[in-house]
Amino acid sequence: MKSDTGQKKREQMEFQDEYAETLRDYAMGGGEAVLGRAYELGRRAIAEPKSLLELVSLHHKVLKELFQNSVDRGSPGQLVQISCDFLSECVSPYEMAQRGFQDAVKALRQLNETLEEEIKRIAYSVHDEAGQLLVAVHLALANLALELPPGRKEQVREIEGLLNEVEKHLRRYSHELRPTILDDLGWIPAIRFLAEGISKRANLPIHIEAKFSGRLPGTVETTLYRVVQEALTNAVKHAKAKNVWIRAWLKDRVLHCAIRDDGAGFDAQAAQAATGRKGLGLIAMRERLSAIGGTLWIESSQRSGTELSIRLPMEDDHVN
Amino acid sequence: MSRVEIRVTISSDQDIVVARQKGRSLALELGFSSGDATLIATAISELARNIVSYAGSGQIALKDLQGSTRVGITVTASDTGPGIPNVSQALRDGFSTSGSLGLGLPGVRRLMDEFEIDSKPGQGTRVVVKKWRP
Repeated sequence: MKSDTGQKKREQMEFQDEYAETLRDYAMGGGEAVLGRAYELGRRAIAEPKSLLELVSLHHKVLKELFQNSVDRGSPGQLVQISCDFLSECVSPYEMAQRGFQDAVKALRQLNETLEEEIKRIAYSVHDEAGQLLVAVHLALANLALELPPGRKEQVREIEGLLNEVEKHLRRYSHELRPTILDDLGWIPAIRFLAEGISKRANLPIHIEAKFSGRLPGTVETTLYRVVQEALTNAVKHAKAKNVWIRAWLKDRVLHCAIRDDGAGFDAQAAQAATGRKGLGLIAMRERLSAIGGTLWIESSQRSGTELSIRLPMEDDHVN
Repeated sequence: MSRVEIRVTISSDQDIVVARQKGRSLALELGFSSGDATLIATAISELARNIVSYAGSGQIALKDLQGSTRVGITVTASDTGPGIPNVSQALRDGFSTSGSLGLGLPGVRRLMDEFEIDSKPGQGTRVVVKKWRP
């Protein structure tokens, strides 16, 4: 660990020295060849990765030294121009990257919508299409029962009982995938329905306290539902929680929703920096919320479990 | 019709500097802002860099672009190198190390207004990019 930090420090010093040297060369009239080097420095900085602000503050530090030592080489106006040309060159790889990230964010949001549509379609086929097939099986069984001797009819009834169970489960899964309640009654009733199912399956008490009953736009309700769903999945799967508390309330035109569990916590910062399944889940939640103007705050510790706090400022057209 | 055509042979880092310099001056002459001229130089850097790294040598041609109501610049990078076996893959972010940062060919495409690529394995690659003056 220590040698890593040392190594990093050395590299940073090298970068800083090289930056200073290159900017000096440019100020001395180095021209395009030096601008080419400035561009390569920017490219290196982005790959490291060095933050844009870090790069800009390094630029200003080096520039200050240059001002102090070489005012005689040119007027302040010239130095400002030099500084501007050089810095533009250095940050142009960031411009390129930023355009890429904008495209990626757009694509990601689009992807969320596509996924939601896909989930709706799957939920529909599980519920309706599989349901119709089950009806056909029921009819076929009834026909078969007519031709069977009375002693075998008991077995047919047993099969019918099992089929009814299958139907019940399919209906439940279909509703959890994409609850029709979400569209019909809103996100809070949908979360209650989801919590009820999870509670039974995982034997986990989920306490819900909602002081909010208004309806929100469809995308907002879907997002809130998905984030709570992911939080509940985490509480069951990773945290092995004994209790979960969900609270929702509206205060000063800001919608709050907190999901807390008493399970095994984690290092929230490390998890969000990691690109593993768990880190991505947290990043995806945050990203989904930010698409509708909301924020996510995560607090977690080994002793006290995890709390996710959602904040969503209401716009005028939100509450209806 | 274009009035200017500048060709720069690319086989070393020094040549990249020449191409950048010619591209930048042409962009400024055509009335691009210095910010846009920097982005054009950036695109030239990335294209020329690909020539040096993958084909060894090639050429960058710079031309003015005279539309009916607007003016722009065309940059053509061509080489007779090994070509790109899978062009759509090369245009995807994340295919190469630089691509995963949004640099490289995907980056060039985003900096410019028009982008065309033609590559045949064993015959070489030709990338034509255009940027219009806003």
